Amino acid sequence: MKRPLGTIAGARSGDKGGDANLGVWVRSDDAFAWLNGFLTTEKLKELLPEATEVSRYELPNLRALNFVLHGLLGDGVASSTRFDPQAKALGEWLRSREVEIPEELL
Amino acid sequence: MIRIGNASGFYGDRLSAMREQLEGGELDVLTGDYLAELTMLILGRDRMKDSSLGYAKTFLRQMEDCLALALDKGVRIVVNAGGLNPEGLARKLGAKVGYVTGDDLKTRFPEALTANAYLGAWEIAECLDQGAQVVVTGRVTDASLVVGPAAAHFGWARDDWDRLAGATVAGHVLECGTQATGGNYSFFTEIDVTRPGFPIAEINEDGSCLITKHDGTGGAVTVDTVTAQLLYEIGAPEYLGPDVTTHFDTVRLDAHERGVRISGTKGSPPPDTLKVCLNTLGGFRNSTTFVLTGLDVAEKADLVRRQLHDAIGEEGLTWTLARTDQRDAATEEQASALLHVTIKTADPKRAKGFSRAAIELALASYPGFHVTAPPGDGTPFGIYQAAYVNRDEVSAKAVLL
Repeated sequence: MKRPLGTIAGARSGDKGGDANLGVWVRSDDAFAWLNGFLTTEKLKELLPEATEVSRYELPNLRALNFVLHGLLGDGVASSTRFDPQAKALGEWLRSREVEIPEELL
Repeated sequence: MIRIGNASGFYGDRLSAMREQLEGGELDVLTGDYLAELTMLILGRDRMKDSSLGYAKTFLRQMEDCLALALDKGVRIVVNAGGLNPEGLARKLGAKVGYVTGDDLKTRFPEALTANAYLGAWEIAECLDQGAQVVVTGRVTDASLVVGPAAAHFGWARDDWDRLAGATVAGHVLECGTQATGGNYSFFTEIDVTRPGFPIAEINEDGSCLITKHDGTGGAVTVDTVTAQLLYEIGAPEYLGPDVTTHFDTVRLDAHERGVRISGTKGSPPPDTLKVCLNTLGGFRNSTTFVLTGLDVAEKADLVRRQLHDAIGEEGLTWTLARTDQRDAATEEQASALLHVTIKTADPKRAKGFSRAAIELALASYPGFHVTAPPGDGTPFGIYQAAYVNRDEVSAKAVLL
């Protein structure tokens, strides 16, 4: 069923110099099993077309994935001309993207 | 157990947080983070104007209000508000003050406006061991503000990796203040975050902790609010710091009646290098936003773009057209798109001239011309870079006044 990812996932994002980080977590083991299979680096780039070079890390103990979006913020917050130069709302943007979520997780 | 609170997540955070934390219940140590990469740049510019500045001035105001209260309650204060001038700040405080210095590497990186190594917990611990009631540091890692007091309290060794890693996790949860208690939180509709309380870590001798907050304060400490903050500004699960490498994939969270228990964290030796925060002046910037309403939005954008290029040249201009306009809209605002333009240039006169050029278009451009706010004179901007130096090139020192 197509729903915003944020229906079941939380996210928090921020800046580290010219890179942005984007943590995504869910609230049950079943949801993490799905998220971990679904939200690949390729899928993230598809949902956030602005992302180019992406590192992906798994934190199953937190039911979370962490992404680093390299170079998204240019030379850092003071210099960046990006809308939202600190990537504060990158996570909320991702949560608003509509994706196929298994019905039993909703 | 040692109770360590946080009263600041950035330079500009809630001024009354210090008093709220001191009056709201029991604490042993109160910490505050005032420094981000951007803050170092702001303080660097303060210092250029007046070499006696370069620290977080709001902390001084908090101390004028709360130092007597903290001393009275026996709560020790540990903050990185010293910024680029910890000694200068320390000498303004009327208590037994220790400060940490040695992070400034400007002689090593002379081209930078600010160059500061991220120091760790041990100089903070040394100040506390020597009886400091207030410890003021420059650039130390945010988490070290919590690791230092815990290490001093329990007498941890420098290779107690798991304990240090546990305290680092506690510090990471606390360092952004109310981001651990429901601020900036995806599921905010499930709790009342009208005025979230600031977080507290009750740290045990083994490095595990309970994240909580004072009774009666707003927000919430749940597995979800703590998870959100653990994910903030991290990279790989091996979280490198000056004190220890903390393995975030070993952290275990459990709900507790007063908050969240954190346990299981594993640590390993830190890298041989220290990270350095470098800010250099990149030039000058200015920006404005044109409002494009109704029909022919793309053509309106083209016209104003052409006109501004004619007036001041294309170089260094970045344009973004946000198509927030809706067709046949019932309000003027919904009928409008926003055209953002930013100039970045080495020439301060050109950054200033940008404003004049933009405003001179007012009666000479697209129909319905207006801007969201008149552009200013332009401001300098910084470029942030990280560098790495060997530990033996940095001599961190604890000084007691």
